[in-house]
Amino acid sequence: MTIPLGHYLILAGVIFSIGLAGALTRKNAIIVLIAIELMFNAAILNLIAFWHYKQYAALTGQMFAVFAIGIAAAESAIGLALVIAIYRQSKTVDVDEIRSLKG
Amino acid sequence: MDYAFWIISGITVLGALLAVTLRNLVHCVLSLILFFLGIAAHYFLLRADFVGAVQILIYIGAVAVLILFAIMLTRNVTGADGPREVIGVKWWAGSVIAALTAFLLSFAVSGDKLAGTISPGDKAYVGVADIGRGFVGDWVVPFEVMAVLLTAALIGAVVIALEEIRHRR
Amino acid sequence: METIYKLIIGWFAGKPEWLPLAIAIAVPILFVVGVYPAIFAYTTLVERKALGRVQNRYGPNRVGRWGILQPLADGLKLLTKEDIVPRDADKFTHFLAPVMAVIPSVLLFAIVPIAPGLVPVNLNIGILFAFAISTASVLALFMGGWASRNKFSLLGAMRAVAQVVSYEVPMVLAAVAVVMAAGSLSTLDIVHAQKRGGLEIFGWFVFRPWGFVGFVLFAIGAMAESARTPFDIPEAESEIIAGYHTEYSGFKFALFQLGEYLAAIAMAGITVTMFLGGYLGPGCHLPYVGLLISAFWFFLKLGCMILLNIWIRGTWPRVRVDQLMGFAWKVLLPMALLNIVAVGIWHFMGNKALAWVVTATLLGVAFVILAKISASGNIEKRTYRYAN
Repeated sequence: MTIPLGHYLILAGVIFSIGLAGALTRKNAIIVLIAIELMFNAAILNLIAFWHYKQYAALTGQMFAVFAIGIAAAESAIGLALVIAIYRQSKTVDVDEIRSLKG
Repeated sequence: MDYAFWIISGITVLGALLAVTLRNLVHCVLSLILFFLGIAAHYFLLRADFVGAVQILIYIGAVAVLILFAIMLTRNVTGADGPREVIGVKWWAGSVIAALTAFLLSFAVSGDKLAGTISPGDKAYVGVADIGRGFVGDWVVPFEVMAVLLTAALIGAVVIALEEIRHRR
Repeated sequence: METIYKLIIGWFAGKPEWLPLAIAIAVPILFVVGVYPAIFAYTTLVERKALGRVQNRYGPNRVGRWGILQPLADGLKLLTKEDIVPRDADKFTHFLAPVMAVIPSVLLFAIVPIAPGLVPVNLNIGILFAFAISTASVLALFMGGWASRNKFSLLGAMRAVAQVVSYEVPMVLAAVAVVMAAGSLSTLDIVHAQKRGGLEIFGWFVFRPWGFVGFVLFAIGAMAESARTPFDIPEAESEIIAGYHTEYSGFKFALFQLGEYLAAIAMAGITVTMFLGGYLGPGCHLPYVGLLISAFWFFLKLGCMILLNIWIRGTWPRVRVDQLMGFAWKVLLPMALLNIVAVGIWHFMGNKALAWVVTATLLGVAFVILAKISASGNIEKRTYRYAN
């Protein structure tokens, strides 16, 4: 493997920025959740890349990645449940239109 | 190996870009699945087989399907966003922030300090059995915390999504 | 596979370096895409014949003797049919869905061993890989149903997603029991763990209390996962026409069928590997001919599992949607969790005879209680107006 570690880090950085751009610019709450998933995955890719290049014999990197994936799954389940609940309340999933603080 | 990296990276970035730019929500999710597959391929390339399989199992099998279900429950079934504006008014601010982040991250890792590669003698393979032993050994406390977190998330998701039915009664 | 690789590498000693590698890659691929689709073709024939017997008719018998060329005729017919795409359909997704239906099903065969050391790919994450891949098959059903822009298709897709996601859980948990007992995720190791001297058959996991329960759970889960008839509500023809493939015709429809049957065959193969001793059988460890004998036992068991599937399909009525969901979450899931406890007890009890009794009692009592709880009220005695 002649790909240096930096390539993976830059790839993760690019994916993270795409996710950030999506989360900041799109109006649909579900797309915002998708963008957050992108950022999550970029972070986990970093964990695995560092594990591969720096700590190959140790478990830590893979363990952290598995825990992060689990937490991301929990996050998306809650996030989507919230989106559905909000949609039932206000009949929209547009994050710019959900301004009311009253339930 | 090098070719594999570039091809998979291309697919991954393409999937990510399409996932946040397409108008049709279902198409977004399908691109997201492409992106997840690319990331899983990267894990296999980095010889983290277990994490790669978990990535496919959880992200494609659960998260993507969950998002599809949420779209079906909140939108008209075509998944199209309609003629309304898809992008928020302050889109340029978000884009500038994201571009700055990308620039900063690239700048930070572009130095030669991090460009380490594994030495051939360091190839002790971490198998699934080692990870399993890790879960019930050194990492047992985070593992149990994860279990509690997932249970809480499960109950929370059900309670939040079922709220309407409770009100109706 | 290693022995064969060595043999091949020996043959091509003087040739260019990449040749043995290329052959070593090509042989398993050719095997998987050659043998299993042939099994699929004749499964359809056997299924139609067997269903015919169940329903007191002949089944196909016109094309060739005993209808032996029927699969070819079917294939030709589907190839020459017009490929209709609805005007409002999402063209690209509509095109992609049948392809997506076939790919995961073919990939599943990569980890099914057919003889000692003879498995297309010996992954150390074997079973986990199979589950990861099989979850992807639900996407094809969803894409097909959604892209068709048809209410029935969409209903079928929603049903398919809900069903597959629900049945995935008890199925994976049933497999966890096997993985715990074998101590490995690799399919070769799982088969190896079922080996025992003397009468080999008693080493199979299906002859342990937890193994039997796991076998039943896994077989039900596999049937539901590939939407076979007692669980085929995603394509229930009397309710929603043909579900997610209502708008598919010609070869795309054939691809959906191919994917569905290949998934069912692959799941049968994985069931054989995990519970029925895989390729183990009398004579499977003889030198040289052992490989052939093992492959014979494997395909015999695979055939039996397929016939069991067909038998169930012919004799069981389709379940309702609510029954389907309730069954997965209220019966199968608790049983699967208890099964894992039973494996733990089995593993830590020294006296296997006592362990047999304890785990059998535990699982039996649990099953009776769950069956009582989930029974939907009393079934009234039917009174017939004219028949009595």
